[in-house]
Order: sequence, then structure tokens, then C-alpha cells
Amino acid sequence: MKSFFADLHIHTALSPCGGEEMTPPAIVQAATDRGLGLIAICDHNSAGNVAAVQLAAARIRRSRREIDLTVIAGLEVTTREEVHVVALMPGAEAAAAVSAVVQATLPEADEAARERFGEQRLLDAAGVQIGREPRLLAAASTLDLGDVVSLVHAHGGMAIAAHVNRPSFSVLSQLGLFPREAGFDAVEVFIPCGSPEADKGSLLGRFAALGLPLICSSDAHYPGDIGRCRTVFELQAPTFEELTSAIRGEGGRSIRCA
Amino acid sequence: MNLSDAVRELGLICLTPELDATDVTVTGGYVSDLLSDVLGNAPHGGVLVTVQVHLNVVAVAVHAEQAAVIFAMNRVPEESVVRRAVEERILLYTARQPAFEVVGRLYALGLRGPAA
Repeated sequence: MKSFFADLHIHTALSPCGGEEMTPPAIVQAATDRGLGLIAICDHNSAGNVAAVQLAAARIRRSRREIDLTVIAGLEVTTREEVHVVALMPGAEAAAAVSAVVQATLPEADEAARERFGEQRLLDAAGVQIGREPRLLAAASTLDLGDVVSLVHAHGGMAIAAHVNRPSFSVLSQLGLFPREAGFDAVEVFIPCGSPEADKGSLLGRFAALGLPLICSSDAHYPGDIGRCRTVFELQAPTFEELTSAIRGEGGRSIRCA
Repeated sequence: MNLSDAVRELGLICLTPELDATDVTVTGGYVSDLLSDVLGNAPHGGVLVTVQVHLNVVAVAVHAEQAAVIFAMNRVPEESVVRRAVEERILLYTARQPAFEVVGRLYALGLRGPAA
């Protein structure tokens, strides 16, 4: 087994609230600078920049052979209850398929909406803007929580309850109690940088009671956020299949919040 | 306030006819779509007005000891949610009016929320 530092919830400049500087090369650079081996790109309701970040990572791996960064495809879906669900998918195509179903339920983003909520930049691997997402990514889909978890599973992905300890858009803030029947594969906890070990322990202990694997991710919207919260994966190789096995704790693979 | 007054005044549609709603008294009210907020702040024995139709609305209503839930704006939860409400003896209604209008009418009937 090999240890990989993972940050599995990172936004790009495609997310209306994401920093303009969150381009594929900038994300890959920040991730490698901070020693991450696994990252997941999870923009709001869209997987439009996933392939570009994967290509940017492939380029840096070719030019600097000591670097081993894998980019997992994903997106962060907003359910009709306004719960955020992180979907980790087997590849960019599966992520795009989920995104297409979700986006069919979102309103159009006209110019006024883009001005108020933020630009939705589609970028290439070099970080050059090649378009913009036409649907309003800041809106909630009309799919309910159960629909979204089923949709993610139908495309081979894992559904993670995003930032459960945050006061907005979390399953607990919106629904009061954790819905065990929802079928989540894991729970994402946000532990602020530099938290004392005791606080970290009590936070993780509180959510361990849910009986689901715990993942710590940064929910980065700016380059400085990347890797501020991370999970250590013990894997044989940095692939999506290995990652799902580790989350399930199969075959000696494991995860722990760093 | 007798719940049947509110049902008549607002023209509420009862979703749980299996439950006996005659002579049910509500002593307060709360309006919110964030169930974490309802859990912490809704007065016991009250009526909850919401557009949230997730199954957890029933669990939260039980926990916060609500007498009834009114779904505003013609929202109707799934059958499984209604079944759970019947099991838990929580009365469910749908109002055709938006939440603002529902709460305004309940207030005019004399119902009050928790003091600020």
C-alpha cells in the first residue's frame, strides 16, 4: 500500500462563487506544491472543467516526472432541498452524464444572472476561456436528495454528503437530522485549518456516530484553500476503483482524515 | 386556536384523513424551510408552515412536537412521507397560498409565534 494525500472537493472558475484564478494549471500547481496525490474537481452542478484539469495534470506529469497527481472527475449537485451532494465519478464522461440530467432542471443564466452570481467559465487545460456554462449553476435542481443519490450510483459514482458541519447547504442544516435512508456512501467534514487536535477529534467523533466513512476536504474556491483540509488514502494505485475500495475499507485499503 | 378554523379559513386540503383532526388545538406557529431551524425554534404544540417536503419534515415535526404541518404553495410530499406522518400522528395539509399568505391569515385568526 502507498499513502496519498487527497483533497476531494475543489472548485474551478466555472463555479459562480469560485475564484477567477482557479484555472486548471493553477489548481494542478497548488495541489502539487502542497504534496497532494489525489484531487477531485467538483464544480456546482457541472463537470465542464473536469477534463481540462485532468489534461493539465497529465501535462505536468510528463514535464516533471517526480510529480504524481491524479484528478478524479466529480461535481457538487444541489438537490431540491438545497442540500449539496459531492459526486465522485469513474471518469469525466460519467460526470458529464450526471451533470446533463441535473442541468436540464436548472434555469438559463442570462447576463444579469451572471453579473449577480458570477461568471461560469469553461476553460481549456492552459486556463484559456473557451466558453461559459449556459445554465444557472448557483440554482437548485428540481431533483430530490434520493433522486440525486440514485443518479450518481446509476453512473457508477459515490455520493458524499458535503460539508455536514457547515451552516448552509448541508444535509443537517437543510434537513435537521441525517437521513440514513438517503444512501450516502460517505460524509464530508470540514475541519478548519489549524484546529487544535482535541477539537478535531471531537468533531470527527460526533460524525463517526453516523456509521459512514468520513472524508475531510477543503471545498476550495481559491488556490490558497487547496489542501487546507485533507484525507490520507492507503491505496495500491491512485485510481477511482482503488479510491472507492478504500472508502469502503476493502482489502486492507483505508482512509483517515489528516 | 382550533385547527379546524384554520382549515376552513384557508381552504386547506387534508393529506392525512386517517387521523382525527376534530378538536385539535394549536398553541403557536412557526414558518421555516430549514429543518435545523425548525428543530431548534418551533414552539411545541404549534403548526409548522413550510415548502420543504422531504421525509425528514415528519421526523422533525415529531421531535419538535408539532401538531400539524401546512405545506404552502400547493406542495404535496410523496406518499411515503404521508404514510410516515399517519404512523407518527402528525396532521398534514396543503395550502394553495404562498407561505406569506398562510402565515398572515393564521396570525389574523389569533395564532402567535414565539416571542422575539
